[in-house]
Amino acid sequence: MGRLVTGLQTARTVLGDTRFSSLPAGKRSPVKVPGSELSTDALPPGMFVNMDPPEHTRYRRLLSKHFTIRRVRELRPRIQEMTDRLLDEMESADGPVDLVQAFAKPLPTLVTSELLGLPETDRAQFGQHVDVLFSLSSSGEEMQQSMMGLGGMLHALIAAARKDPGPDILGRLTVETDLTDEELLGITIVLLIAGLETTTNMLALGTYALLRHPEQLAALRADWSLMDDAVEELLRYLSVVQIGPIRVAAEDFEFEGQSIRKGEVVTVSLPAANRDPLGFDDPDSLDIRRGATRHVAFGSGPHQCMGHHLARLELSIGYESLLRRFPRLELAVPAEEVGTREMMVTYGVLGLPVRW
Amino acid sequence: MRIEIDKDLCCGAGTCVLLAPDVFDQNDEDGTVILLDATPGAEQRAAVEEAVVRCPTAVISIM
Repeated sequence: MGRLVTGLQTARTVLGDTRFSSLPAGKRSPVKVPGSELSTDALPPGMFVNMDPPEHTRYRRLLSKHFTIRRVRELRPRIQEMTDRLLDEMESADGPVDLVQAFAKPLPTLVTSELLGLPETDRAQFGQHVDVLFSLSSSGEEMQQSMMGLGGMLHALIAAARKDPGPDILGRLTVETDLTDEELLGITIVLLIAGLETTTNMLALGTYALLRHPEQLAALRADWSLMDDAVEELLRYLSVVQIGPIRVAAEDFEFEGQSIRKGEVVTVSLPAANRDPLGFDDPDSLDIRRGATRHVAFGSGPHQCMGHHLARLELSIGYESLLRRFPRLELAVPAEEVGTREMMVTYGVLGLPVRW
Repeated sequence: MRIEIDKDLCCGAGTCVLLAPDVFDQNDEDGTVILLDATPGAEQRAAVEEAVVRCPTAVISIM
């Protein structure tokens, strides 16, 4: 048993109320899907997504400085450069390509690698491990191997940052904070989970949504100043985080006229909240002009996505550069043949064959 | 219009800075809000009201 929150305003209120705890003990996912298994163990060090204030606040404040608007804006030229290089490679292929493999996956992987200070020589291997861990078709054994491989890489990365700290986030954290190696490992894993799969799926699924709504795509192509609004609307309309955030009541209390009992599990449905008719007119339509700024695609409350400015920047640079580079971009297969990630926490397309 | 902020609750999302950069800034040390102008003119009202609604931790109040 548990409760499901589907209203926009109630979602905000629940996520802003720390009586609905984020601690792992007692949390259960309402559905069993890969990646939704929740640990009931003690708190892993540094995994601040599973913490309540004040522990959560401590980690959040150590990290927030790396994701301020100012810091993220400084990354723009570098992200544009990475984007252009990927599009160069894609263009030289000159035939149908899978947009997920050619663009949507490598871009966030490159950005995250750079933020963490991962050497260029390690990036291909890093990408392979991440691929296996986020893939539906990986066997248990493959997952285990990649987990160990990735763990080894991250331990080595942290050791290298301690020895010779660079200007990246890990380097800065080793110099500016007293975080232990275990805490740094937990933080790094959180940043990877939060930053990679979500952005990849938004890039590919967002492109798919635009290709399936040619009138919206034409409006965007006619006026690129709609880009920021289009990003917000795609975030709302697609809500790629399908399951959770999940909370557990820390005490008995009255909430919006209902009696909540200690230990009750409350799951917030971000896709439902983002299509709440009380929050958005005609919520099931994709309308890039609606100014859908009040969505909860990044969650809400103290745990709201810390990287939201970075995600928005990657998406706006990614969509605009892709669409400008390929003015005749189209699906290379019938739309109904595009497979979707039905049974994953993060929704998306399995692949997106495109030509131009 | 007078603005008050509860800095203890701030999670450093920076949404207010995006919406009303003349009124709010973000601390470079921990990302939390800095109130640049506690009594902004009427031309800022719409942006500040939007920041009140969109702040994920309800840090900002208009008195």
